[in-house]
Amino acid sequence: MMNPSASSKPEAKLLPGDLAIWFFIFMELLVFGIFFIIYAVMRIENIELFNEYQQTLNRELGLANTLLLISSSYFVVRAVQAIRHNNVASCIHWLYAALAGGTGFLILKSLEYHDKFSAGISLSTNTFYMFYLSLTLFHFLHVVLGMLILFAVAIKAKRGAYSSVNHTGVETAASYWHMVDLVWIILFPLVYIIR
Amino acid sequence: MKSLYNVHTIWLLMMLLTAASYFVGDLGKGGWLAMLFVLVAAFIKGVFIIRDFMELKGVSLLWRAIMYGWLWVVCISISIAYFVSV
Repeated sequence: MMNPSASSKPEAKLLPGDLAIWFFIFMELLVFGIFFIIYAVMRIENIELFNEYQQTLNRELGLANTLLLISSSYFVVRAVQAIRHNNVASCIHWLYAALAGGTGFLILKSLEYHDKFSAGISLSTNTFYMFYLSLTLFHFLHVVLGMLILFAVAIKAKRGAYSSVNHTGVETAASYWHMVDLVWIILFPLVYIIR
Repeated sequence: MKSLYNVHTIWLLMMLLTAASYFVGDLGKGGWLAMLFVLVAAFIKGVFIIRDFMELKGVSLLWRAIMYGWLWVVCISISIAYFVSV
């Protein structure tokens, strides 16, 4: 006789982390997605202006920031893997490594802003800079929030709150941090490269 | 032999794709082919993040449809807007 469970489809995996963070992630992606599409549409109407002022951006800093965020995301993956193996110390080290990546991102972005603000550039300079500043500043705030979440999780991990059987908090923080990375993966080519 | 498809190689591949996008964008001085390369590279990196870093491989179709749908809509919209402007 056939085992009924053998013929049934394998059950879908649950989303990693807390379900609530995923609704937050979907909302954030929706907002960024709309922002990206508006940027692309506005570029059609102001193609020469966008191409001209895009040249004034520091692409090398943009590249370095992309590499930092991708690496930071990878370090978070390692932190999740470590806690699943009940290796709390390793999990904390990887979380700190991810935080170092995030800090590097914030420093480089701040240098970029300092450069622009000291040249008198602001949101009202022109349409390109309005989009560049608002998009990147909005993302900057998400990096800060993601780092606060990672830091809180690292502190909790240090206090022994997570283990191989209970690590939802680590997965939740990781999911949010990957979203921050995902948004930058699109933002970098859109604003810095495509012309 | 361990599979070459793991988070370590994915990380390296994403770093290489990012560097390649930078150089193609810089050397190509624009143009639709360079734009297509950069966007496809961004799309591939997005898939890696969703599938392997966020670990959405194997979760319910609804969640995957939302995440991959977002990536498709954003990349296709940017491509259309670009081609309309050239």
